[in-house]
Amino acid sequence: MSTVDIIMPSKRYKQKATIFMVSAIVILIACIYLNFNPIMIFTEFHYVRDLLGEMFMPNYQILYENTSTGISILQTLSMAFLGTLYGGLIAFVLAFLAATNTMPYKAVRIITQVFVSMLRVIPALVVVLVFVIAVGPGSFSGVLTLVIVTIGSFAKLFTEIIENVESGPGEAIFSVGASRLQMIRYSIIPQIMPSFIANLLYAFDVNMRAAIGLGIFGGGGIGFQLQMAKSVLHYKDVTALITIIIILVILVEKLSDYLRKRILGEGKLG
Amino acid sequence: MTGQATYSFKRYRKFVLPLILLIAVTEGAAIVCGATFDKLETGIVKGLSFLQFMFPPDWAAFKDMLEPAFQSITIAALGTIFGTILSVVFAVLAASNISHSWVRNTARFLIGLERSVPEIVILLLLIAAFGLGSMPGIVSLTLGCIGMLGKLLADIIEEIDPVMIESMESLGANKLQIIWFGVMPQIIPNLVSYALFRFEINIRLSVILGAIGAGGIGYELDYSFSMLQYHRAFTAMIVVMVMIFGTERLSYMLRKKFKVEGALQ
Amino acid sequence: MIEVKGLTKTLPNGRKLLNGIDFTVKKGEFVGILGPSGAGKTLTLRCLNGLLKPDEGSVLVEDEHGEKHDICQSSKKQLRHVRERIGVIFQGYHLVKRLSVLENVMIGRLGQISTIRSLVYGFTDKEAEEALLALEKVKMAHLAQNRTGSLSGGEMQRVAIARAIFQSPTLLLADEPISNLDPSNAKVIMKLIRPLSENIPVVGVFHQPEMTAKYCTRVIAIKDGQVVYDGDPKLSNKTLEDIYGEELAQMEQYEHAIPTPEIVRI
Repeated sequence: MSTVDIIMPSKRYKQKATIFMVSAIVILIACIYLNFNPIMIFTEFHYVRDLLGEMFMPNYQILYENTSTGISILQTLSMAFLGTLYGGLIAFVLAFLAATNTMPYKAVRIITQVFVSMLRVIPALVVVLVFVIAVGPGSFSGVLTLVIVTIGSFAKLFTEIIENVESGPGEAIFSVGASRLQMIRYSIIPQIMPSFIANLLYAFDVNMRAAIGLGIFGGGGIGFQLQMAKSVLHYKDVTALITIIIILVILVEKLSDYLRKRILGEGKLG
Repeated sequence: MTGQATYSFKRYRKFVLPLILLIAVTEGAAIVCGATFDKLETGIVKGLSFLQFMFPPDWAAFKDMLEPAFQSITIAALGTIFGTILSVVFAVLAASNISHSWVRNTARFLIGLERSVPEIVILLLLIAAFGLGSMPGIVSLTLGCIGMLGKLLADIIEEIDPVMIESMESLGANKLQIIWFGVMPQIIPNLVSYALFRFEINIRLSVILGAIGAGGIGYELDYSFSMLQYHRAFTAMIVVMVMIFGTERLSYMLRKKFKVEGALQ
Repeated sequence: MIEVKGLTKTLPNGRKLLNGIDFTVKKGEFVGILGPSGAGKTLTLRCLNGLLKPDEGSVLVEDEHGEKHDICQSSKKQLRHVRERIGVIFQGYHLVKRLSVLENVMIGRLGQISTIRSLVYGFTDKEAEEALLALEKVKMAHLAQNRTGSLSGGEMQRVAIARAIFQSPTLLLADEPISNLDPSNAKVIMKLIRPLSENIPVVGVFHQPEMTAKYCTRVIAIKDGQVVYDGDPKLSNKTLEDIYGEELAQMEQYEHAIPTPEIVRI
């Protein structure tokens, strides 16, 4: 017998096999509960074939037949832009109110943090439905929703970025008799600005996708066009719109990636 | 003296053009979206008063919400599990140090294509093909999961030390053995952390997908809104908030327990 | 002139970190504070400009008009006023890496200019020229427009000294300014600090008795929160042994090993 206690491979195999079996059974039960049969995707594949037959060839005439498609593309881009800009700016301000090294009063910090977590957990669906009722359907309600969603997901991230800033320079600035505002202006803002802008670009990418989804619930833009085309069964228009969406998303992603790399990799002072 | 240090007001000149451009774009976007400050004010005032109007929640409807909520969670969980398993397959195929270049390029292309189609669009198509039900929801979440995790995991696999793979090859191990014993143990920590992160996203998505027709709590929420049963909608909203908050805490705790390095956020 | 009287700092568990520190430094003096690790050197220095409040004791500092202020009793506003003229050099340089070298020097005046002006307008041409003069004194003017993060450790510490010069201080404090540097850079820094002590008192915390013997005019040794030696910078072996105890043997070992020059390039 060896003096070292190890788990023998046979025992380890039994453990693994048990865990595997139990999870497989749980997944199976869940599938049965939801009436979900993965094999059905393949056995009933003719539905997909029928649909694809309906969808081809894409009808790109919608692009120049009337202006509504062009406007809806512009609307989606504008929604994402405005939502990112205003949401990002508000998140920026809230982050300063919530970070320990910029806000000395604990009460303010806690109130801000609670407010931000509230925004984080409110489902986007509820926000858009409420704004559609408040200002009517259209891209403006989509903008307001995106602002709220952006604040919720980025204020916490910005707070962490501010709190992870090097504390040394701030201490040095305090030791020449500067005030807290001066410390923020000359130590924290120069340090966080690149990652702030990089995150805003990322947020624009995310919001662009979200803006398409919101359209379906009355947020306007190309998502709304898609929903309309689908509900009147113009599947050739649907295909055209989907390809437009794919191109839009890829373009925005590439642009945001490119700008982000430039900002984070910049070496010299302008 | 170098003399190039001008610290007068002129140094703000370089910001003038970008600022004007930013304002112009913002103004243009605002016109396109029909955004005005009047509307913003009514939006905030009416939105808040409407929330007030929705209060108090209809607690009698609470027990009707439990099953849809459970359905939504199951849909999100199944989407995450299937998506994670498939994304490992795709990631291995898309990693340049494991597979041939044409396999890799095909896999990367598919992952990239999937990433650029929002889950909602996939869901709309699936509903058009298969009709309403949980199946389109699970499939679209699975596909979304492959798009996100597939790319992240492929990048991680490509960073694995090539010497290790070579040494396993020199032992006479075949491709599957290399993947199982050389690649898998290295990506498991990241896999767990990404899967948990994706589960959080899937919970949020399952609510939205539910409203379009995948069933669950999202459908309940949308239905209450369209039937003007706002107190009932408020109850559904609270249930969703608890769900989101709960998964966030759970995933945070699990990730801490696994002590994953290089975890997302 | 700076007068320190009876500085005491006690932890909640009753351990005395500082136990009645007294000393006075006049202008023309370059005082090096020595002592084993954990003796309270850095703590003392932090009390001198109010980054730390002692439980008891007083620190009297003269401002530019010759008025004396007790740092330990000052309100926040008074403290900021006194700090305007106290230059501090830190071990970790404490520069804002994303700003230019020149801007880092000008940060030294933040306490002296109005908050609103510093937030809205920034610094003036005149201040930039003065900052350039300060940089010339430390031979760094040619790098004025560079990003601070791209400098080496020795260069960063020189910028930190320029920042202190730019403050036109009435007191200079240095917290282990050479501990992160290689020997040749350390000498450069000491040679730059030394002449500043002609007009103002300079107090520094050091770990290297050889360096203080060479450049300081006076050495104060602190052990277990008390001043155990105050006088000539050239310490006899007996005094060194008294101050450092067992640590001395370790330090001698290190003297033979050449410290690796630390290059901070990001």
